[in-house]
Amino acid sequence: MNSFFALFPLLIIVFIALAVLILEVFLKRENRDYLAYISLVFLVICAFVCIQFWNKAYYYFDGNLLLDQFALFFTFILLLSTGFVVLLSMKYISLQDVNYGEFYALLLLAVSGAIIMVSSPDLLVIILGLEVLSISSYALTGLKRKDELSSEAAIKYFLLGSFATAFLLFGLALLYGASHSTGIPTIIRYFNTETDLSLMALIGLGLIVIGFGFKIALVPFHMWTPDVYQGAPTPITAFFSVVPKAACFAIFLRIFYPFWKTAFDSQAIFWLLWGISVLTMVVGNLVALRQTNVKRILAYSSIAHAGYLLVALLAQDNSSLVFYLTVYLFMNMGAFAAVIALSKKDKEYLELEDYSGIGFKYPWIGVTLSIFLLSLAGFPPTGGFLAKFYVFSSAVRQGLVPLVIIGVLASLISVYYYLRIIVHMYMREPSREVDIVVENPALFLVLFLCLYGVLQLGLYPRNILVLINQAVSLL
Amino acid sequence: MNFPILSVVTFLPLAGAILLIFINKKKENHLRYIALGITLLTFIISLFLYFNFNSSTPDPQFVEKSVWLGYGIKYHMGIDGISLFLVLLTTFLMPITILSSWTYIKKRTKEYLIFMLMLETGIIGVFVALNLFLFYVFWEAMLIPMYFLIGVWGGHRKIYATIKYVLFTMVGSLLMLVAIFYLYSAYYKATGTYSLNLFDFYNMSLSPGIQIWLFLAFALAFAIKVPMFPFHTWLPDAHVEAPTAGSVILAAVLLKMGAYGFLRFALPLFPSAVIKFLPFLVVLSLIGIIYGGMMALIQKDVKSLVAYSSVSHMGLIMLAIFSLNTEAMEGAIYQMLNHGLSTGALFLAVGILYERSHTRLIKDYGGVSKKMPVFAAFFLIFMLSSVGLPGLNGFIGEVLCIFGIFKANKIFAILGVTTVILSAGYLFWMFQRVMHGPIINDKVQSFKDLNKREIAYLVPIVIMIFWMGIFPNMFLRKMDSSVTHLLNMVNKKEATVSQTQKGEDLLVKIDDQALEEKNKEKEEQTR
Repeated sequence: MNSFFALFPLLIIVFIALAVLILEVFLKRENRDYLAYISLVFLVICAFVCIQFWNKAYYYFDGNLLLDQFALFFTFILLLSTGFVVLLSMKYISLQDVNYGEFYALLLLAVSGAIIMVSSPDLLVIILGLEVLSISSYALTGLKRKDELSSEAAIKYFLLGSFATAFLLFGLALLYGASHSTGIPTIIRYFNTETDLSLMALIGLGLIVIGFGFKIALVPFHMWTPDVYQGAPTPITAFFSVVPKAACFAIFLRIFYPFWKTAFDSQAIFWLLWGISVLTMVVGNLVALRQTNVKRILAYSSIAHAGYLLVALLAQDNSSLVFYLTVYLFMNMGAFAAVIALSKKDKEYLELEDYSGIGFKYPWIGVTLSIFLLSLAGFPPTGGFLAKFYVFSSAVRQGLVPLVIIGVLASLISVYYYLRIIVHMYMREPSREVDIVVENPALFLVLFLCLYGVLQLGLYPRNILVLINQAVSLL
Repeated sequence: MNFPILSVVTFLPLAGAILLIFINKKKENHLRYIALGITLLTFIISLFLYFNFNSSTPDPQFVEKSVWLGYGIKYHMGIDGISLFLVLLTTFLMPITILSSWTYIKKRTKEYLIFMLMLETGIIGVFVALNLFLFYVFWEAMLIPMYFLIGVWGGHRKIYATIKYVLFTMVGSLLMLVAIFYLYSAYYKATGTYSLNLFDFYNMSLSPGIQIWLFLAFALAFAIKVPMFPFHTWLPDAHVEAPTAGSVILAAVLLKMGAYGFLRFALPLFPSAVIKFLPFLVVLSLIGIIYGGMMALIQKDVKSLVAYSSVSHMGLIMLAIFSLNTEAMEGAIYQMLNHGLSTGALFLAVGILYERSHTRLIKDYGGVSKKMPVFAAFFLIFMLSSVGLPGLNGFIGEVLCIFGIFKANKIFAILGVTTVILSAGYLFWMFQRVMHGPIINDKVQSFKDLNKREIAYLVPIVIMIFWMGIFPNMFLRKMDSSVTHLLNMVNKKEATVSQTQKGEDLLVKIDDQALEEKNKEKEEQTR
């Protein structure tokens, strides 16, 4: 239905971002928490609007903004993770002295960009959304103004990110030249009907893969990830590990799923993705073994998880890809929440050594972090296991047995470094003085919501799977 | 719907673990009594399984089946004559281990007991699961509590040992997971329905070429767990570093999971691959027997001596399983129970010594029997049971195994018998050095004999050792039909597969009857 309603979620978010920016001027520094509350309320309202629109399929701007169930589901995921990030930031930004008014505004603008990305079938609009997301992200990375690492990360992210955008635009230009359109359906129709594919179109598609691969942090386009993850304020790291990934995978699904379905006579792109997937899983997990900083470990782990998600893409199993993303959202947010919990005024405990003996000293943080790490490693009965089960079993059904064997062996490597954190928490005696600010109800709310999510998705995810199947059936 | 007894037996310990979370950790004795009560209750309920077990049928009993996640993932449990006793062994040993760690565990008692109870749920789950998904969930989930038990309450090299244990086990089980995916997709391609039901896979014949790969994946997972010869290196580390109760459970029950996996999955699912690899497997078992025994002879540490004796004994069990006849198979299962009792008891005895002197080296002891005469008597019984003295349980198991192996191949039987000779060697020699002779160590001088609690948990084991030695039929007759059925299945399937042509890469045949049932089920679902 062509309706102005299609703009609603986006308008709410952008409006509130600007409102937060203006309100900040009128609020005293101590009262800045209200900004978080306001953002949260409107994120919830926006999520509620998404639920109301579930069966509506509104579109606007000649279909360039399309709120189908697929877009709505992803919007919901993005809003949920942003909500978690806002909750995580509340105490953090005042403790770590990044309490600037633009924090929440930039966060909301970033997610508005991601929402544009998932709700458009036109590559030009998608790249616009990506730019909104990226530019806000660069600024967010550098928010710890007094910290050298943070500024360094922002510069790195900005420079490499601009390259990625250039790749995307060049790729789009080539695709446009070949197919005379920027709309994904038309481009796909071109690929399917054209008997004699021009090299130009293939290169264009390859460049598009590289551009998005940069944002998802696929190997070999992952170089920025560990530095940016380490330098950025930790809640923002949590944001980076979920939101851009979810948005870019939504686009991969929109582009590639129709490809697999019809006769796509060039296998080049398939093998390109196959190779990237193997590299991402293996390199991500191997390099993580050598890290001693927990944020860097989680950075490499998030790279590796992007590799597993690519396996799902290659297995042509959309619902398990989306399920994996949903589980990943909960377990990764949960892990970052626990990392954020281990901090005090102007100090974050991020080295593995700091974690020694934490498990018995702070039992709730220890238990929840262990469960999230076990879930990331893929142990049953957590959601992480079920997600890997679905992804790898459908990959075997598609005949991708070697890929799956590489995948499970890579996840074996990952077991080592996830367990290493647990080893420090429970099996070593405390070696350094660690005292943290414990009163942080918002953070514990995130921990328990994520715990609930991970266990619910691991033991009885049927309701979510029904929604996911509805959402991906539209592709 | 009947009373879901298997679910109760499986999940009661987990419920107990959750209960313990809410109890103040300062009240250590409350925690211990609750954990003991829960495990005892589980044991009593599990006895109901024994008394109501129908030994005339090979079909799984006390079956519970319900839809869980769809796509063939079902909550499906049941036991037959093979798994019945392994479940009972677990529930029997659990209260004993809790009692044995009453004073041994001094720090973090609450967490310790929680992990012990979680472990029990995991182990029982492995033995009762009939859906491969459910089986795998328990198989992997059980690693987590064991990982913590070794890593937190273990000895000096606990971190090395626990990581090694987890990684070794996971290599095998992850490759097994890929094989499970393959079966899953092969079944889907053949019938158009999703299933992970073990019995559906039993009815499916795979081409020999595929069987080899799948068998290798399954066999690797189970061989690591058993452990068979080249994959045994995690075992001495894990055993030595684990706390006493951990070693007991590890030796008595976890190793059995590997052998059980061969019986339940690897043999009936891939019979032609088994036949093909039989010489190889037999040789590995023989190496395990002799190598394990030799290594046990030269150990300086009592605990690693018992650990290597496990390698040797498990070698005999595997050799008996691969003999593929009724006597050997029943002997193997019986020997699994015996090994659980006697090796478990030996670890308990070593733990009792360790608690008094905090050393495990043989040379630090000597003359212990003078100070601890009651303990010496118990220790001797456990040792004789492990060696296989007639009248005790070990004898029945070993004789059955060796008779069966003899039937299959005389030379293997002769080599297999060395396990008995070697075990007599290293155990008696160790006994002599530890218990007899002059007292050299001052610590031994101050040893106190067993207290009531220690006697209380050793006596049930002694009773079982005699009982199983004198009335073996109470156990063996319950296994008969399951074992015969298993062997029939292996032989029949092997025959059908070898008759069919080798042309197709993947050949899937489903029995007509099974297919009809499947269709009916499908119709019901659509309705």
